[in-house]
Amino acid sequence: MRDTFRGGVHPKEHKDLSREAALRVFDAKGEMVFPLAQHIGKPAKAIVKKGDPVLAGQRIAEADGFVSANVICSCSGTVKAVEKRRTISGAMQECIVVDNDGQYTQTEDILPSPLSTDGLTKEEILRCVQDAGIIGLGGAGFPTHVKLAPKDPLAIKYLIANGAECEPYLTCNDQLMRGYAKEIVEGMEIVLTLFPNAEGVIAIENNKPEAIAAMQRAAAGHKRIRVLGLRTKYPQGGERSLIKVIAGVDYPITKLPADVGCIVDNVGTIYAIGRAVLYHEPLFRHVLTVTGEAIKEPSNFIVRDGTSFAELIEAAGGIKEGVEAKKVISGGPMMGIAVGSTEVPITKTTNAITVLCDDAVEAAEKQMTACLHCGRCTTVCPNGLMPQMMADAVAAGDLERYENKLYGLDCISCGSCTYICPAKRPLTQTFKQTKSEIMARKRAAQGGKK
Amino acid sequence: MNQRLNLSAGPHVRDRWTTPFIMMVVLIALLPTAAIGVIVHWVKFHSLNALWIILASIGSAILTELLFCLATRRRISIWDGSAAVTGMLLALCLSPETPVVLPIVGSVFAILVVKCLFGGLGKNFINPALAARCFLLLSFSNGMTNYPGFDALSSATPVALLKSGSMVNVTQMFLGTAGGVIGSSIVALLIGGLVLWGLDIIHGEICFSVIGGFTLCLALFGGHGFDPTYLAAQLCGGGVVMGAFFMATDYTTSPVSRLGQLVYGLLIGVLGALFRIFGKSADSFSYSIIIANLFTPLIDLYIVPKPYAYRKSAIEKAAGVVKPPLFKRIPKPVIALTIITLLAGVALSGVFTMTKDPIEANELAKKRASYTVVCEDAKDFRDIDKAVNAISDLGGGAYGGGKFGSTTVDEALEAIDANGNTVGYVFSITNRNAYNPPLKLALGLDPNGKILKIAFIELNETPGKGSLADEPKFKEQFNGRTVETFVLNGEGDSGIDAISGATVTSKAVLNAVNAGLDFFRNVIMGGGN
Repeated sequence: MRDTFRGGVHPKEHKDLSREAALRVFDAKGEMVFPLAQHIGKPAKAIVKKGDPVLAGQRIAEADGFVSANVICSCSGTVKAVEKRRTISGAMQECIVVDNDGQYTQTEDILPSPLSTDGLTKEEILRCVQDAGIIGLGGAGFPTHVKLAPKDPLAIKYLIANGAECEPYLTCNDQLMRGYAKEIVEGMEIVLTLFPNAEGVIAIENNKPEAIAAMQRAAAGHKRIRVLGLRTKYPQGGERSLIKVIAGVDYPITKLPADVGCIVDNVGTIYAIGRAVLYHEPLFRHVLTVTGEAIKEPSNFIVRDGTSFAELIEAAGGIKEGVEAKKVISGGPMMGIAVGSTEVPITKTTNAITVLCDDAVEAAEKQMTACLHCGRCTTVCPNGLMPQMMADAVAAGDLERYENKLYGLDCISCGSCTYICPAKRPLTQTFKQTKSEIMARKRAAQGGKK
Repeated sequence: MNQRLNLSAGPHVRDRWTTPFIMMVVLIALLPTAAIGVIVHWVKFHSLNALWIILASIGSAILTELLFCLATRRRISIWDGSAAVTGMLLALCLSPETPVVLPIVGSVFAILVVKCLFGGLGKNFINPALAARCFLLLSFSNGMTNYPGFDALSSATPVALLKSGSMVNVTQMFLGTAGGVIGSSIVALLIGGLVLWGLDIIHGEICFSVIGGFTLCLALFGGHGFDPTYLAAQLCGGGVVMGAFFMATDYTTSPVSRLGQLVYGLLIGVLGALFRIFGKSADSFSYSIIIANLFTPLIDLYIVPKPYAYRKSAIEKAAGVVKPPLFKRIPKPVIALTIITLLAGVALSGVFTMTKDPIEANELAKKRASYTVVCEDAKDFRDIDKAVNAISDLGGGAYGGGKFGSTTVDEALEAIDANGNTVGYVFSITNRNAYNPPLKLALGLDPNGKILKIAFIELNETPGKGSLADEPKFKEQFNGRTVETFVLNGEGDSGIDAISGATVTSKAVLNAVNAGLDFFRNVIMGGGN
């Protein structure tokens, strides 16, 4: 089997900054903010109001429909407001604001010792996952209970635990796998009971030998679980890249991984599933890396949802003396989102805060030249798209060619083409805009028919 | 954390490679070629003209772009380095004897007309350097065809020599000491090109399909089969390597997809070979690249590779289709045809090898026969050491330094009778200024230099015109005369009446005969030089 996918790039890793920093629990002091839309799908509906007392682990907003997820309070205190607050995307979104009393009293629903998994039905597992408000922690935030309930569970051949962590700078999943290997394997076992024909594969880029060793130890003797080292290359941790490597299949954007017999979940998600099923503990804490050249003590934390960026940056020693933080990124530098203010809360899917002193985008804008047609973007695209032709089509206003001849909607916005472009063209950005424009037109056309 | 934070869309890190970096690497890859061109010309002719051409070309390219940017109030784009690369490429495909004003005119044309007026970097529709070269060739053909060491009259560059069927020194061409354009050192071009390919700056799909298509086409239709010397000489001459690695691979004017690049490269190779075989111009390779450049938008429009997930193999795999092994999927007729073709190829090359020696022997016999015609008393012929040395010193070059046009003395033998006494001398002489070269004749002299007879070994002139050279009326004029140099339509002893309506042929014959006479006096009788 190939140990990697076609294309891809090798950005400088920068993982040394924080790779040896063991996970530390960080309990925030300030107010906690919980956006109602942290996941893909419909935003949750708030079920608390101003003045209500809340506990850590308590459900404060309920899923609205099947493709939606519960929101869980991560601290104890009282609800201060349900109002619009600025979030990571920069937009004002409906949030529940909780005045944190600093006690972190947990609800009694969370069990002190694990349940036995014997005789647990599939429905019970899915219910636990749904109640716990678990969504994909890899970044997209797709509700996990939906993902775990494909049309034909018997057709699933691979359950892939994604520990690739291919984003530069990020190390929290590395530390999670090193410290909680046993728990991740337990989570895998639980999920595997849903898919009797599936093989569990824990996929890890081979720049994390300690994590691979730890997972191998934990998975030793398991017939249905194996650990797979992957070549270090971005975007190796992308769902499609993993499925290409493990199942050997390429599939179009119109299909889901389950359609080709695969379920891919981040190792953090698998861990959370284990906690939810065994302890009835909902998802309100997860691992997160605070790193970047501007950070004094790059760290890996176990953090509570709703903590502000500013507090976490302070927890990592703050900004180094004598340097200027130019850019704060929610996530890693390839697919992360730059935030305009550090007074925004982390959500369930925030896996890193990367603070950079140098802004490559600012430099790139100065270095930008006309497209050379060098074709480097076409060689790195992990899906085999032709970014250069797509950009030309967009420039010519030919969305028909973009969509139908060039399959421009299949772009996964991984950023590889923009990264490699010597002319520093903003390719990924163009494609994101074009995709949403085409989708908007389609929605408008459908609405018009009705 | 009160200061302003930069907000921009990701990715927030970028590769270190920039446009100027790529252009700089290309320039560096061209430096060895340029250096060899300059040094060879300096060593041979003590002239730094090649260096001035390179500097003038690069300088004027950059200056033109700068002035254009200033005049049209655009961002100064000279720092991307593409103008410098264009200037360098143009200089390398000019002769080192070119007047320095021509590269300047060419660079202005390349940058202003071909590049800037079409929208600048990435927008030109043909390769600017090649366009400028062709522009100069068409507009200033006199200045453009001064090649050092070659006869300007016949423009006998190595490629022209090859066309007329004579041999060239491939080793010299490979090293770059054979003359021609500044960038004619194949070894330096190959090093630069392979480095660029290794760094993934140029696409192997293009350069190797150009060379492959060219070689294959020449082998099939060139009339010499897979003769390695012939193919090597063709590949080393006429800018094929420069074109394949540095001109055809120009990003803007070549297709994006790998398949498109293969099609484009093959198009260049095949066109180049066909022009080389059937065309007159020695610069045909430039034109074939330009023609392929014009096809690029069309290729890009129609050859668009599907994303991996939409390719047939991926769809079948996702659907769980199990394929039979490869050899079972190939239709039987294809296998049969392939085997037949291979067998036919083997048979043909067998026939070629078997007939090669008889053909050569046949040609030798023909030559001997004409020697006997021009020196009837001869029973046998033997080598003359002085003549053998003089001919090998010329190494296929023109005899007399151009005094007799492009004429080579191929062989000079002493004719002896049965007792071994000298009864005369015979010469085989080729002239390449005829109407349809080569014109090859045998000349017989008695021991005192009196002409016995001439006879044609090869005469391809126009029937009824130049072909009349073989009529007694013309060729017997030479018989029995002892003259130093014949003059066409001249008065008195040295005069020869031209064939009416075929002055070129008459001149060619005269030059050949005069060269033979000169060779006799200066080499055979003159005791060497």
